[in-house]
Amino acid sequence: MKLLDKTILLIIPLALVLSGTPSAATLPENIEWLTNDADPVYASPDAKKGGTLNWFLLSFPLTLRHVGPDANGSFRSMILGNHMYPVAAHPNTLNLIPQLATHWAYSDDNKTMYFRLNPKARWSDGERVKPEDFAFKLDLMRSKDIVDPWYNTFYSEEIDKVEIYDDHTFSVTSRQPKPRDELHASVGFTPLPSHFFKDTKNFVQEYNWKIVPNTGAYQISEIKKGKHIVYSRKKDWWAKDMKYFKNRFNVDRVKFTVIRDVNLAWEHFKKGKLDSFDITLPLRWHEKATGPLFDKGYIKKLWSYHGAPQASGGLWLNLDNPILKDRDVRLGIAHAFNIDKVNEQVLRGDYVRKQTMMTGFGDYTNTDLRARPYDLDKANAYFDAAGWDQWGADGIRTKGGQRLSLSITYGSDTHTPRLVVLKEEFRKAGLELNLRKLDSAASFKSVREKKHDIWWGSLIGGRWPQYYGQFHSSNAHKTQTNNFTNTDDPELDKLIEAYRSAMTHDERVRLSWEIQERIYEESSWIPRLDTPFERIAYWRWLKLPEPPGTLIGGVSGGLGVFPFDYDGAFDSSDGGLFWIDKELKKETKKAKKAGKTFPAETRIDETFKQAS
Amino acid sequence: MILSRLNLNPLTVKKLQRFKSIRRGYYSFIIFTVLVLLSCFAELLVNNRAVLVQYQGEWYLPTYGAVIPGTTFGFDYQYETNYRELQNKIEREDNGDFILMPLVPFNPYENDLREGEYPPFPPSLEDKHYLGTDTIGRDVLSRLVYGFRTAIFFSLILLVVSYLVGVSIGAAMGYFGGLFDLLFQRIIEIWSNIPFLYVIMIISSIMIPSFFTLIAIILVFGWIQMTWYMRTVTYKEKAREYVMAAKALGASNSRVIFNHILPNTVSIIVTFIPFSIANGIIALTSLDYLGFGLPAPTPSWGELLAQGSNNLESIWIVSSVIVAMTIILVMVTFIGEAVREAFDPKKHTTYE
Repeated sequence: MKLLDKTILLIIPLALVLSGTPSAATLPENIEWLTNDADPVYASPDAKKGGTLNWFLLSFPLTLRHVGPDANGSFRSMILGNHMYPVAAHPNTLNLIPQLATHWAYSDDNKTMYFRLNPKARWSDGERVKPEDFAFKLDLMRSKDIVDPWYNTFYSEEIDKVEIYDDHTFSVTSRQPKPRDELHASVGFTPLPSHFFKDTKNFVQEYNWKIVPNTGAYQISEIKKGKHIVYSRKKDWWAKDMKYFKNRFNVDRVKFTVIRDVNLAWEHFKKGKLDSFDITLPLRWHEKATGPLFDKGYIKKLWSYHGAPQASGGLWLNLDNPILKDRDVRLGIAHAFNIDKVNEQVLRGDYVRKQTMMTGFGDYTNTDLRARPYDLDKANAYFDAAGWDQWGADGIRTKGGQRLSLSITYGSDTHTPRLVVLKEEFRKAGLELNLRKLDSAASFKSVREKKHDIWWGSLIGGRWPQYYGQFHSSNAHKTQTNNFTNTDDPELDKLIEAYRSAMTHDERVRLSWEIQERIYEESSWIPRLDTPFERIAYWRWLKLPEPPGTLIGGVSGGLGVFPFDYDGAFDSSDGGLFWIDKELKKETKKAKKAGKTFPAETRIDETFKQAS
Repeated sequence: MILSRLNLNPLTVKKLQRFKSIRRGYYSFIIFTVLVLLSCFAELLVNNRAVLVQYQGEWYLPTYGAVIPGTTFGFDYQYETNYRELQNKIEREDNGDFILMPLVPFNPYENDLREGEYPPFPPSLEDKHYLGTDTIGRDVLSRLVYGFRTAIFFSLILLVVSYLVGVSIGAAMGYFGGLFDLLFQRIIEIWSNIPFLYVIMIISSIMIPSFFTLIAIILVFGWIQMTWYMRTVTYKEKAREYVMAAKALGASNSRVIFNHILPNTVSIIVTFIPFSIANGIIALTSLDYLGFGLPAPTPSWGELLAQGSNNLESIWIVSSVIVAMTIILVMVTFIGEAVREAFDPKKHTTYE
């Protein structure tokens, strides 16, 4: 028995090593190498190097690993931001631009991408970035050592293989064919330094606090557990003179101090101990970010619109519920849904009504569709038509003795005020809405088990609309799937399948529009509000390029696009665009003491605002 | 039966007299009782439904009845009549109709929102938001009143059930002694080491606690306190002759405990009641404050407190609830103090 165990233990690493060193493959002939240095730069030529940027963290990260237990915290985007991709999308033109690779190419079957690495590309310990680092990453992500089933599944089901051709050239193959503009998002993953990871058997403990060499502009230089983390700029960063990286990543140090309370952090910011602060929430923008510091021009306010994909926030109606099965009821709910009142009278009208499921997806967004407006007469007519035409003594509609009462599941206290207003509005149409607030993890679990009537939630996807998981019948009436509406519609299935197999951009756009229209017709999902902007307050010594934002965000931080966004100091595609003007800092501090003032500045930048 | 026997007891009369003589406790008791009684009829005092309407010769009492749709009073909507609008309409038309609105014409759930202005709105006599509104335009006074009612009845019900359990088990431990006592002592020791707040947090993150489930959850951990006191006094009482006499007459164990021993330990129980009420209110308020209490939009003090502390600029929210809570808890403490003095076996003749 003991012997057997040992044999297995020996075989496993051997198998890993074997799969990681592919036999010498030969590069197919007549592949067409592509590159791009024609797109405009988006950093400012005025940028100056130097200074320390001070930000805060609400809690100290539980680990410095980016995979495995406890790695799914907000600090992960800081770690990933400093790991570069072979190629990435230009944040304004969306064309691919070089990062670690100088050239790339596609196979004819739309499954494989070939990359030729920049010979200058270096890890922070000086080692050259090699194709083996990509193969190693794939093996590690598939390995049980990392104790992270999500990564295991993703890298097993999405990626087929890595093939190495020579010291600089390799290819990554996807299991499914994908349109050319989308392929890089799955096969163009970041590498890991294979020379650094000696033995990954004990990965979770061994690498918990190890600082892994990276390829980005900054590396962790100081850690005080529970207190702060400092990132320092690499003075001789290999990419510092490349076209799209020049004049970016300007500050010398980025210091994250742990401040466990947002209100306290705000006080630190007002004292100048933090350089910028996210004030996207209406209360912060309109109420908190006011007063002498702002009036005297020491702190500036910026409201910057962007065109990044929006989360699919809305009401997800469970079609397996006998009340919601009836399309007339769903249409009644759509017309009784007074989200405009919430937006205009509670949220100060800052947000934008979402019109269709996929907003912020460029031409994939069906701009013909308009969300059904609040209209009590129409709502009443639909509810009457569905047979809910009796009103009970409590002011709620009934049908055959049953009350028109539904629960809404949600997972965050910040949404309670909105839902409380909506509850009162739904009552006017004779619909009772019971608020079912669970802890965010528990609420998501509950809706994945399809235990909800209505889910008040949103999904954040990638850069391109995805419909299969949420609307294909193969995911309906089952637990642990994302088909939260239990949509089971043969027509829609056909469209979704066609969308999945379509390889040309135009075809996919056409199908995307049709799918959105079908979802609108069924009204199983009712749109709520979009936030196509970010808002920040920042001390006047912090300088921004012109325009101050980008169209879409970097890959490491999800959808955040603002240069001061959480990962905005580092992200290899859109980060590090700002700089600190040390003269201005001195001047401002002096002026503040002397009581000297500057013109107040509140700026709304609509460069990237999308038509809605 | 116990009560009537108590009333006949000259000692009890003396205790009541002493309680009365402790002024601040006695008056607190009267005010508190009046408040509790008034809160039972809060719908007549603080509500968006009119108390009385005379419309085109017909009389309506909307408070406790079914929803009266707007169409009844000549509005064009099917949902519940907005009685404040009706009041304006009746005053405008002035054709002999009559409406009597409650003192505070808002219920704790409705959002009184306006164009171009954003809640929270400060206190205003003109708008009849005497203590202002919260962050989504709900009347603070209305939520305070209904929150008080929820808290006080929560606390009273919790008191009854946890004393029922605690007193019974404590008395049984003292009365039977031996292995039973030993066993329960250990159970209680272990049980009281379970971090009760965490358990509630875990439970309420996976299910929505209702009024009664919350009572049940707190009861599971809240019965312990009384057992220790009851165990001790029962041990003492058990050795008295009257117990032996009752036993000799063939009384069952439960009869001895509940009919003979319990009336003689009532002073202990009574002394603890006011403090348990205060604890009940605090427990519910803190759970609501942390977001683990009653589900939204139930009016509650804890929820107001949380809103207030996040919106310190709107000082009326947090100050209203803090003042209300301080007054109630101080009154309860005064009552408790007076009760304790009144039942004090050392018989202080003077107080203060």
